[in-house]
Amino acid sequence: MRYNLGIDIGGTFTDLICVSSEGKTIVHKTLSTPQDSSVGFINGISEVAEMAGEKFDKFISSIDTIVHGTTVATNALLTLKGAKTALITTKGFRDALEMRRGIREEQYNNHYKNVTPLAPRYLRFTIDERIDSEGKVVKKFDEKDLLPIIKKIKAEKVESIAICFMNSYKNNIHERKALAFLKKHLSPTPSGKVGLGPVFITASFEVLPSIRFYERVSTTAVSAFVGPIVANYFDNLIKKLENINYKGSLLIMQSNGGVVTPDVVKKTPAVTVLSGPAAAPTAGAFYSELLGYKNCITVDMGGTSFDAAIVIDNQCVTSTEGNINRYRIALPSLDIITIGAGGGSIGWINEGGLLQMGPQSAGAMPGPVCYDRGGNIPACTDADLILGYLNPDFFAGGKLKLNKPKAEKAIQTELAKKVGLSVLETAAGMFRIINSNMAQGVRQISVERGYDPREFLFIVAGGAGSIHSSEICKELEIPMFLVPNVSSIFCAAGMLLGDLKHDYIRSYFSSFNHLDKNKFISLFNEMKDEGTKTLLEEGVSKNKIEVTPILDMRYVGQYHEVQLQCDWNDVVNFKTENIFNAFHSEHNRQFGYSLKDEGTEMELINVRLRVIGKNEKPKFLSENTNRDSLKSALKEQRSVYIPETGKMEMVPIYDGDKNIFGAKITGPCVIEKITTSVFVSKNYDCVVDDFGSFIVYEREKFPEGFSINKKENVTQLSR
Amino acid sequence: MNIDKILVSIFQRAFKSITDEMSISLTKTTRSPILCEAKDFVTGLYDAKGQMLEQTENLPILSFSLGPVCKVILEQYGNDIHEGDVIIHNDVFSMGNQNNDVAIFKPIFHKKILVGWSAAKGHQADIGGAVQGGYNPNATEVWQEAIRIPAVKLFEKGNLRKDVWNLIFANIRLQMVQEDIKAQIGACTLGERRLSAFVEKYGLEIFETHKQALFDSTEKMMRAEIKNIPNGVYEGKSMVYYDGKHIGSKFEIKSKITVKNEDIVFDFSKSSAQTKGFVNGTYTSSCSAITLTFLQMVNPNIPHNEGMIKPLKYIVPEGTILNASYPAATTFGNHLCPQIADSIFKALGPAVPERITAGWNHLLCSLFTGNHPRTGKKYVDICFLGLKGGSGAMKGDDGYDHIGMIDASGGVLDQDYEMYEQQTPHMILQHEYLCDSGGAGEWRGGLGTETKILLKGGDTTMVVFGDGDVETNYGLFGGKGSVLNKIELKYPSGKKLVPMSKDMIHGIPDNTVYYQVASGGGGFGNPKKRDKGKVKQDVKNEVVSKKSAKEKYGLKN
Repeated sequence: MRYNLGIDIGGTFTDLICVSSEGKTIVHKTLSTPQDSSVGFINGISEVAEMAGEKFDKFISSIDTIVHGTTVATNALLTLKGAKTALITTKGFRDALEMRRGIREEQYNNHYKNVTPLAPRYLRFTIDERIDSEGKVVKKFDEKDLLPIIKKIKAEKVESIAICFMNSYKNNIHERKALAFLKKHLSPTPSGKVGLGPVFITASFEVLPSIRFYERVSTTAVSAFVGPIVANYFDNLIKKLENINYKGSLLIMQSNGGVVTPDVVKKTPAVTVLSGPAAAPTAGAFYSELLGYKNCITVDMGGTSFDAAIVIDNQCVTSTEGNINRYRIALPSLDIITIGAGGGSIGWINEGGLLQMGPQSAGAMPGPVCYDRGGNIPACTDADLILGYLNPDFFAGGKLKLNKPKAEKAIQTELAKKVGLSVLETAAGMFRIINSNMAQGVRQISVERGYDPREFLFIVAGGAGSIHSSEICKELEIPMFLVPNVSSIFCAAGMLLGDLKHDYIRSYFSSFNHLDKNKFISLFNEMKDEGTKTLLEEGVSKNKIEVTPILDMRYVGQYHEVQLQCDWNDVVNFKTENIFNAFHSEHNRQFGYSLKDEGTEMELINVRLRVIGKNEKPKFLSENTNRDSLKSALKEQRSVYIPETGKMEMVPIYDGDKNIFGAKITGPCVIEKITTSVFVSKNYDCVVDDFGSFIVYEREKFPEGFSINKKENVTQLSR
Repeated sequence: MNIDKILVSIFQRAFKSITDEMSISLTKTTRSPILCEAKDFVTGLYDAKGQMLEQTENLPILSFSLGPVCKVILEQYGNDIHEGDVIIHNDVFSMGNQNNDVAIFKPIFHKKILVGWSAAKGHQADIGGAVQGGYNPNATEVWQEAIRIPAVKLFEKGNLRKDVWNLIFANIRLQMVQEDIKAQIGACTLGERRLSAFVEKYGLEIFETHKQALFDSTEKMMRAEIKNIPNGVYEGKSMVYYDGKHIGSKFEIKSKITVKNEDIVFDFSKSSAQTKGFVNGTYTSSCSAITLTFLQMVNPNIPHNEGMIKPLKYIVPEGTILNASYPAATTFGNHLCPQIADSIFKALGPAVPERITAGWNHLLCSLFTGNHPRTGKKYVDICFLGLKGGSGAMKGDDGYDHIGMIDASGGVLDQDYEMYEQQTPHMILQHEYLCDSGGAGEWRGGLGTETKILLKGGDTTMVVFGDGDVETNYGLFGGKGSVLNKIELKYPSGKKLVPMSKDMIHGIPDNTVYYQVASGGGGFGNPKKRDKGKVKQDVKNEVVSKKSAKEKYGLKN
């Protein structure tokens, strides 16, 4: 038997999924070890080995691939515990990184501070060199100018260096020279700080060779800031894997939803800043395809945040507009909206006497009041408990007993008394407000991007999400939602489903009337060669390689460009008519109009190529024939809050870990699993599919009942 | 009817999401960089009486610019308001704030009853008048600045009034403006759809009662903030220099602020009489400036609806520099905001020293036009990156560096350098923080910048408008002021030229160096008390010189 593993390390839990060559799936959660997360990583593997009934050594030798998602880079950015970073840039532009184009996100808040620059001003050095907007050298770079800088860098014990010169996207000769010279003079020298090895040096042409100085300098600085920590993390992890004799391959989840080898990550560490959440839409694409859908929205409600992402035509949507902690990262990343809504979101009363939820969170420690770990500010989970959605004796399968009286008391004193409502009414209010907050998050990822959420399959991941989904869907008029069988470790599952993906970019600023055909084509061939070479090195066979060209285009006179996905043949055969038509219709879709009839000229900004190495997908969703009756899964009757009536009602509680495949369950009810609870409200019914996923749908919209037959679903949804 | 308090919270969120969505739509669909890049527009929802339900003002200076117009429209049309009507308006003598800021209003109906309005107002790239773009430093009357559009229907019951449309756009230079107005109508349609679906969902009675409850709750928040200001009458003064006509002319902005329990009155009656040039405010631009300044002094989370402005009273008499009488020129009015803010901060300083800031950088701006040799086309560029200085420090916080004038408060972004060099023929030589530009203080003023651009292409025209080149941004409570704003041209011949703060320079030759200083903010508190670690850090970062550290901050070696 051979195995594939997906391992997702989060702040509290390390999630694992193991799929055997026969399709047997093991899902496991173990505690993370933030001091050295590789400890939790290895612990998790040994626990899974036990669950698979294999000896550790044998199990290790049977693993083909481990795909890993990590928050190492994300956390370094969030906590500002990255490397001591210097920036070397063009004379006259020392402060672009810190200025952030002069934005203050909160315009009425005079206490609001700018972010701490990833390279402080005293470590931002300038060189008297200049390339003009056409790529011509105006002032020649002299490497001798680096000598005093190197001296300071050594004296200050700098651990990482970013190089970014003006207009290097047109001509990177100066950056190349500076990079080579610095490597020669700095690499052999240990940085002085224990464990961090030689100075990490990166130049903007390696990270993001495209126009827009601010995006480029910021992205390069992020890469440098997280670089040494990411490199260190993987070196340590690889050593640990060698120690246990692991011979299979290790792949890393990137922010763009694809996977790569650790060597690539070490070169451009910024590609992993969204490594964790990026796997959810990847898994979403897979699940929706299983049910016959092309489009889906994935939501993941955790302890502190709620992530929403979108999949169109079975492809995850990427964006280059990303920010983390207000640091700009312009690399293609999956378009994920994150809002402060989770089980730990706290309730509070504003100065106008209105109840509010979040975005502040009680976190994992002390957590919601009902965790009984010293927290005394009521949170979403406290409301969910009082409303009967959570079983105080069966939270995390009973591992954590929830204290309901304490939660009630906290809601009474902190909130109910102040708004003049009963405890139950207040808890119901908390439930409604956080649902409305999350619905706005879903609206952002769909309506505000020009998509109608009602035409999407709504997929719910994360432990708490499936309690709140029917209300979110009601607000957005989404008729049904899916709770996948692996919803609690959805991202880990997504990691096993990712292809190898590399994004390349070249800037070519020109109107189409003046475009040099040969240059245009050769830029694409150049990127294709680079991508193919990297994939071959990563062990992908040539026939598994696919390419997707993307053009950043706009009408002449516009400021915002559209990223247009094209056909490879149109690009290399320079079939501009096809490209133009596609652009007009994409512009029309996004903005409601095109300027095709006006004959408005178009211009090109950047050319991009996504090079994909198709992975063999594990068949981890084997059909289960072993069935329990629904009756045998009935655990008890419990009083639960029904939003439709605004009252507590007795409803059946089912054991969702029983094999009730194919069952149809009438709402209202609660289906409890060890890792999650699904609330099926009064106007909803639920069917369990052959893989153990739950499909909850509005009864009125599906009068014939919901059929899992694929073709019918599509028509039902578009009705 | 019982009020469902939870539903009130949800109403607020829903209204906000609608006006935000309208703003996103405008950002993506407009063509003028003033709209899609600088986001000089506002979107809002109003109820049937013209009371504000919610507003997304992308620049704070538009915070008061829609509501008064909505009330004018209601009065003018009375019962003659129908589904499918679209009303356009810019007239500064019927509650418009600035000629270039053109508003679109769309009435919203539920079962044939008027329930509200969706509105969008944006700064147009051209609005007719004598000079393209609307900034005419020589103007003395409104017609030299713009075409006046009092409220008029562009669509009636869903039908385009082509005659009206043609009349208006026959008086505006750029085709782009028509496209941008269409985008504004689109954003209003979006707001109309969303709000009418919302009323449909909850029913008119619940909508009305809960909307009122939301206003009441917001008003309570605002009144609680005012209550924290000690009762009293507070006076402040600031200066405006040069009206564009008379060298050496100066004018006073005088505020008298009366706080009594939960009410506050802003009285600017004693300000100077209106000027003969275009340096004049309008009632709404001045009220916007007052509102945004006060909003920076209170809880930033107060929702923006009618309840927020209800406790605020404005007295800005006609004939003053802040509310010029017909038919005065007024295009500069929005840029009197920094002085209005100064006057309010100075007045309330003694009462609530912890809520006010020292002086912010005043706007001094240049706009280049010329031919781009590479494309052979005309370009227009407002030099946003050069004009943005620092904000004033406040108790406990240093000022914000390179944020720009208070009217935008960090809402207008710099051009990207490389895009700038593609879209104009010019080459940027420097854009950096200016050492010692932050006013010294226990809390330091935000840093200003210095900008150097090599002007290429030849025969460049430069329009300059602004202030801040006479008086420095003031410090408070022992804090020091900053440097002065400055613009200077250095011609290839070696000749230097310092333009007036309202000026137009023609025929600038190739390879002239444009130099600009945007001042920093004023400091707060005695600089000698500044934490020495911070002073050392500033010296290490070369934003405070060793000399200043020693002389102003008392740092030994």
